[in-house]
Amino acid sequence: MSDISTDIASPTAAAYGGQGAVGDYVALLKPRVMSLSIFTALVGIAAAPGTLHPWLAAMALIAIAVGAGACGALNMWYDADIDAVMRRTLSRPVPRGRILPGEALGFGATLAVGSVLALGLMLNVVAGALLAFTIFFYIVIYTVWLKRATPQNIVIGGAAGAFPPMIGWAAVTGSVDLGSIALFLIIFNWTPPHFWALALWRNVNADYARAGIPMLPVVAGPRETRRQILIYSLLLAPVTLLPSLLGVTGLVYTMVAVALDLVFIACAVRVFRLSDGPAAEKACRGLFSFSIVWLFLIFATILAERLLGLVPFQPVIG
Amino acid sequence: MSAPLPPQPFGPEDLARRRRRAIVMALVLGGLVALFFVTTIVRLGGNVALRSL
Repeated sequence: MSDISTDIASPTAAAYGGQGAVGDYVALLKPRVMSLSIFTALVGIAAAPGTLHPWLAAMALIAIAVGAGACGALNMWYDADIDAVMRRTLSRPVPRGRILPGEALGFGATLAVGSVLALGLMLNVVAGALLAFTIFFYIVIYTVWLKRATPQNIVIGGAAGAFPPMIGWAAVTGSVDLGSIALFLIIFNWTPPHFWALALWRNVNADYARAGIPMLPVVAGPRETRRQILIYSLLLAPVTLLPSLLGVTGLVYTMVAVALDLVFIACAVRVFRLSDGPAAEKACRGLFSFSIVWLFLIFATILAERLLGLVPFQPVIG
Repeated sequence: MSAPLPPQPFGPEDLARRRRRAIVMALVLGGLVALFFVTTIVRLGGNVALRSL
């Protein structure tokens, strides 16, 4: 009888794949990004005019979550080369050799096709098509094309992250309406100051420079990044009032949004004015931390208004 | 021209990981069957009872 232990110990076994544990595949889905997609999609479902059976709403959320996970897996497949040279991403399953790039591609593609078909067949074609476009946009337009080509990459990437409430809304109405576009614009405008504050605070420039990614702080420098943070923060304030003008939200949301916007702008002004030393670092950390709270409270307030049955404003536009 | 790699059997740890993956996959597929079945019933709603015979 042959002793197979020598073959088992062979280091070349990893070349055949099949080494990934369940946890590695879960990591491919980027669970934290997925949780944000689920939450904002839930708000999209709640804010949309009309009703949806709770079971179908749950199915829509699962399909959107799986679609978001597919984006994560496909992103890790394509970005395996740059993930391997950045400290922040070095521990991901593909650079660690736990999962082969081809396995990540197969896993992501299966989930992408499955989630789009499930959403399109169980809810409606518009929601399924929006999810398909989101995955296409995130992988082809952002990951493959613009991430490595323009310093505005995070602005484009932010658009992909802003689609889930639109998809949730479309799951209810079967259409793309101004109200859902307003929810999209909130996340779209929120992403750049959120991410650039993180980039300045954690000083990840060396990582991105090594990977050849033209992030704004790397290409244009911290001063220009601070200016852009302020511009997007100032744009964000009127955008958050769009749901009220469109008759999606009411008085409570408007008051909460105005208060949150004032704090957000104050944080952004502080980041703009302080450029050196621990105070500047603290300002960036403050804006980044508050931006997370800000997004949660904005969307939670929309959800709360709907759950409490508060009456939205009459639409001024739309 | 390099010779193709000889077949490499998986070690006990690899086999254990594969078994756990297979169990999770089976649970996910079983869960999907249940989800699709309930969704079909929900979407049918009262239409089955109300259909013209």
